Amino acid sequence: MLQELKDKYHKNNFQYILVDDLGIVLEQDQPILPTIIGEKIQDIHPFFEILTHLLPTTNESFEFSCINLDFNNQEPLVVDVTLKTHNNNNLVIIENLTKHYNNYQLTAQTRNESIINSQILVLKNEYLLEKETFKNNFIANFSHQLRNPITASTIFSDLLINSNLNDEQKNYLEIIQSANKDLKQRIEDILDISKIESGKLILVSKVFNLKELLKNIEVIYNYLASKKGLSFKLEIGEKVPTFVEGDQYRLKQILANLLTNALNYTSKGHIHIKVSHNHTRANKVNLHFEVEDTGCGIAEENLKSIFDRFTKIETGEEQTGVGLGLAIVKYLISEMQGNIKVESKIDKGSTFIFNVSFKASNYTQDQKEALLNNQLPELKQKYNILLVEDSEIIQLSILKILASTGLFFINIISDGEAVIPNLVDQKVDLILLSNTIQGYSASNLSASIRSLSKEYKKTPIIVLSTQGYKDDIKRYKKNGINDVLVKPFDKHKLLESIKKHLK
Amino acid sequence: MTISKKIVLIGHFGVGKTSLIRRFVENTFTEDYKVTIGVHISKRTINISENEDISLIIWDLEGQDDIKKTRPSYLLGTNGFIYVFDLTRPVTFEHLNAELAFLKENFSTVPVKVVGNKVDLVNKIYLKEHSEQFDNVVDYFVSAKTGSRVEKLFAKLAQDLI
Repeated sequence: MLQELKDKYHKNNFQYILVDDLGIVLEQDQPILPTIIGEKIQDIHPFFEILTHLLPTTNESFEFSCINLDFNNQEPLVVDVTLKTHNNNNLVIIENLTKHYNNYQLTAQTRNESIINSQILVLKNEYLLEKETFKNNFIANFSHQLRNPITASTIFSDLLINSNLNDEQKNYLEIIQSANKDLKQRIEDILDISKIESGKLILVSKVFNLKELLKNIEVIYNYLASKKGLSFKLEIGEKVPTFVEGDQYRLKQILANLLTNALNYTSKGHIHIKVSHNHTRANKVNLHFEVEDTGCGIAEENLKSIFDRFTKIETGEEQTGVGLGLAIVKYLISEMQGNIKVESKIDKGSTFIFNVSFKASNYTQDQKEALLNNQLPELKQKYNILLVEDSEIIQLSILKILASTGLFFINIISDGEAVIPNLVDQKVDLILLSNTIQGYSASNLSASIRSLSKEYKKTPIIVLSTQGYKDDIKRYKKNGINDVLVKPFDKHKLLESIKKHLK
Repeated sequence: MTISKKIVLIGHFGVGKTSLIRRFVENTFTEDYKVTIGVHISKRTINISENEDISLIIWDLEGQDDIKKTRPSYLLGTNGFIYVFDLTRPVTFEHLNAELAFLKENFSTVPVKVVGNKVDLVNKIYLKEHSEQFDNVVDYFVSAKTGSRVEKLFAKLAQDLI
């Protein structure tokens, strides 16, 4: 019984074919393959052409697994083939395993597809990273190139405004100054976005006078609002502390961005800024800010994308900017452990509401006064300054600023090679060193100056740099450079830094 | 007169071996990817001289990430190899030299053509960037999709076999 059943099922899956040395079919049993006695097996399917190569051998056994055999008008078969060679009496055994191999094919399909997809994802990721790095480097280099001309343009228009100009000329110059400021802001924004994307934007943590910062902002924006016929109000809640620890520059940037937007989009009514104290926990002060305007408002469908990069809301009125401001604001607020939202109604106005956290500061009254009195001393004698700069417009700009104070003797050189001989010949009290001197890095030049004599170990060196990344500044300081002025800088910043180091 | 030669296509999975054969044998192409298991065998006869045809018995082997994993019985009686890799996936050509060394060691007299498939998906700059890997190794950059240089590849291999 068992043998009978075994034969029945076994036979259906196997086909035995007897062929001679040329491959001509002599005998066969079950019809898995459509073989005909007297015909060459090679003519049934090209797989059997292999026999031409193997049949001359005798008493050998060859096994071929998973052979896909396609025939016209027939479901494809997947078989294992065994060939046993004898003298003019060769046996071909076909085992039909189509079902088994079809199941295996499905598994292989899933596995291979998932491997290939993950490889493609890795490649796409690498490609995106490369593109990102290229873009960030491009932005950094490009802004680097723009810094010298903007510095010169800023400084000369500042100098020009105090010269003898008629009203029309003054008006034109004010437009130039405002364009310079805008240009500078655009570059800073683009650089900020590129720093954010490459993870290089790091917030500093220093004690600062929050109320004073807010009052300064009030003075500026009250003036700008009144020029547009708008009213401006700053409300500071009772519990808001005077001193906190955090990044005052970035807080100012957040508020300036929101207030500039409010000014741009409001033609009548008011702009209000409210600051209140949420809570103080675990030595962290959480503050609540609101910037409210009565401007044109934002349509609901635009509210979601307003914090995305390069988003500008069409209002029909002319506005400035490239649409990076709010993306930067959102990032900075999130870095201060806060969040921002906006409530707005068309033609009624918008309110930007955000919370940020600062470290609580335990400054005492005396320390506060000391900080407030920490003004720069006036210089009482004349100092020798060596300016190492290859850009003629920057040379001229600095010369004008320093000469206007009457406090300095200035020696200018533009060639890196001349620096050391110059220092040997005469006493220098402070060195202004550009980072664009051909063939010389500011760091290397500074190291050579430091090794010159005991005296020059302490001479203040201020680098005038076109590179403003934190890493660059760190590197400079590590090389014994006292201060870094990132171009474009203005008259005030230059004098402040010089005076600080000559103190 | 017709002579018959066995050609084996090998290389990683998903590089387009089946597509190259379909382009050569049926002149068709599909974007769908169907994994080959085991081996498919097809045939095309081409004319190589006035009175001479060559019947190419083309073995399309399932893709392997390592040539040593190939079932030895599939390689019996091979007259020519086509080693295929995917130009867009470096993982399929990063060990190209080792793979070819295996063939040289075990089939020293059998001609091998090395082809980078999917050339329609890369540009000249990309090929230049990889020239160190490809120069002196790759015989043809082909595209099963457009048919570019597929006919030429098989014709040249057929010529080498007679």
